[in-house]
Amino acid sequence: MATRILIADDEPLYIRLLQINLLTEGYEVITATNGEEALDLVSAHSPDLIIMDIMMPKVDGITACERIRQFSTTPVIMLTARGEEHDRVLGLNVGADDYIVKPFSATELLARVRAVLRRTQSSRDPLQSRFFTHSNLKIDFARAEVWKDEKPVFLSATEYRLLIQFAHHVGQVLTAEQLLVAIWGPQYREDKEILWVSIARLRQKLEDNPHQPLHIVTRAGLGYLMPPIEKEMN
Amino acid sequence: MSETIEPTVTPTIELDNLYAISQAATRATHWKPALDQIVPLLRAILIFDNMVLYLPDANTHALEVAYARVVGRGRSAGPDLAWGESVAQQVYKNGQIYLQQPQPEKSPEERLNFPYLLGIPVTTHEKTLGVIVFIRFGGPPYSSDNTRVGAFMAERIAQLVEYQHMRQQLEVMEAERQQARLQEDFISTISHELLTPLGFIKGYTTTLLRPDTSWDESNRHEFLTIIDEETDRLQELIDNLLDSSRLQSGTLRMQFQPVRLDALLKDVTMRARMHHKSLQIINNLDGPATPIQGDPQRLAQVFENLLSNAIKYAPGATVVISISREEAHAHVTFQDNGPGIPAQYLPHIFERFFRNPEQAPNVRGTGLGLYICRQIIEAHHGKIWVESFVGEGTNFHLLLPYQQPSKPSAGSKKSQLVES
Repeated sequence: MATRILIADDEPLYIRLLQINLLTEGYEVITATNGEEALDLVSAHSPDLIIMDIMMPKVDGITACERIRQFSTTPVIMLTARGEEHDRVLGLNVGADDYIVKPFSATELLARVRAVLRRTQSSRDPLQSRFFTHSNLKIDFARAEVWKDEKPVFLSATEYRLLIQFAHHVGQVLTAEQLLVAIWGPQYREDKEILWVSIARLRQKLEDNPHQPLHIVTRAGLGYLMPPIEKEMN
Repeated sequence: MSETIEPTVTPTIELDNLYAISQAATRATHWKPALDQIVPLLRAILIFDNMVLYLPDANTHALEVAYARVVGRGRSAGPDLAWGESVAQQVYKNGQIYLQQPQPEKSPEERLNFPYLLGIPVTTHEKTLGVIVFIRFGGPPYSSDNTRVGAFMAERIAQLVEYQHMRQQLEVMEAERQQARLQEDFISTISHELLTPLGFIKGYTTTLLRPDTSWDESNRHEFLTIIDEETDRLQELIDNLLDSSRLQSGTLRMQFQPVRLDALLKDVTMRARMHHKSLQIINNLDGPATPIQGDPQRLAQVFENLLSNAIKYAPGATVVISISREEAHAHVTFQDNGPGIPAQYLPHIFERFFRNPEQAPNVRGTGLGLYICRQIIEAHHGKIWVESFVGEGTNFHLLLPYQQPSKPSAGSKKSQLVES
């Protein structure tokens, strides 16, 4: 099966340039002109590699990359403009595998694509779902949206990040310190109170009864966990 | 009981007034009106005849009187009174509270010459901002409570002065930041506009040069066309940048000659139709064809710019171009039925580097086109303006005089443009 590459760029001439060069190498190419479209294509067509511009309408490349990493390990190459070092660092921080600086030559592009594919071949996981469900709770990682009983729930950025920590570690107790460091950073290691407030707020929004939580459960003296859902027997 | 005995101040009044002083100081944005409000409150809990605030001059750093009030004995004596100047110097220098209590008690006639002085440094964060001096002509001596109230006052004043300093600095920094942001926006727009065509030229050239692939004729043609068009775009951008800076500095010369606007507009529209096959233009150019005095090349540039804006920002719209005569001017209008420009952006669209922020991410441009248009029209002693309604369309109006003034007033930028 041919290696499938997703290209996302808002400039049609860049899409054409990437496409025509990649096609000669026998890759299969799918294209998107904004971040939102790219996210949909990632979950629908599970590409083997994503080449994505940073400056894109709707959802920019950095945000798109960050969201892709919530459900997929597909390698990402960022296209950045010269001089935007900040963007490159940001891209690598949110999980991009490499970057190409515009203007670039066709041979450089192809060499980078080959290198990234080679480097990531062994570590690539099969695509996970962009959706996560936990009884009446549903998360769409691609759109960063949460539903409870099919109704959208509006979470703050911090609340969302806290929730996906639990969603990525179902059945695993996370200590307050782990959560604080992961979401607020190491300088908040001791700040249990902000975690308490955030968990209380999250429970208010997600639980039927916040005092008897089913999604985020306290394990006294240990931490918090999202318990595994036992398969219902029909 | 002697008259110099301090009236009893009850703790409640003291607390109320201190609270009111603190509130006035916190709410104020300028220290002078705040002090006007504070002095009577203070006088009720700390007896003084004069109060003087000394602050250093921003340039010379020498102490200057910033605020002074006479509230008690000695109102009539005016400049002859003691104002604690030397005390202020001393306090400012060593940052310590200074107390001068003349002993023994003087007779009422001598009092004005032997004042009781309380000098308190006005400090924040270890830095002495100034000095406040309280002056009493006659006893009783300042008690330690008086000194504490005075010190409280000095702290509030410090807070007020510091706050005002910071606000001033903030304003200066805001202005600088605004300037820097404009500069940055410009640099990022220009570099994006320069790098985009360059990126395509580099990309498609290296595609053609790939040693491992041979492209068929239609691909080669496609790539070379892109390279050609992107080279033109670079050229256009560089021309616009040069024109705009020449117009800005007033060094772009106009070559005035008789110009028939109808003929010029027909030329321009014909060229535009050639490049943009789908462009709908209706020419209403049958008015009187009296030539105007103008620079045909520069006027064509203006017309081309207006047309290319219509193509870019009102795709699919029909453009109606008309000429009419208005006394000494030809009135040219470019009317389109495109999406229109939101009212809040209209006052800015002729400014250098201004771009409609709603369109900027989707449409290529530098924010130079309309600026150049306005400069060229103004160099013709004409006028350009815009009317636009969202959802209905946009009309650009140009008024161009048939005759250029024969004797331009010397020295102005415009006259430089008209000479030659």
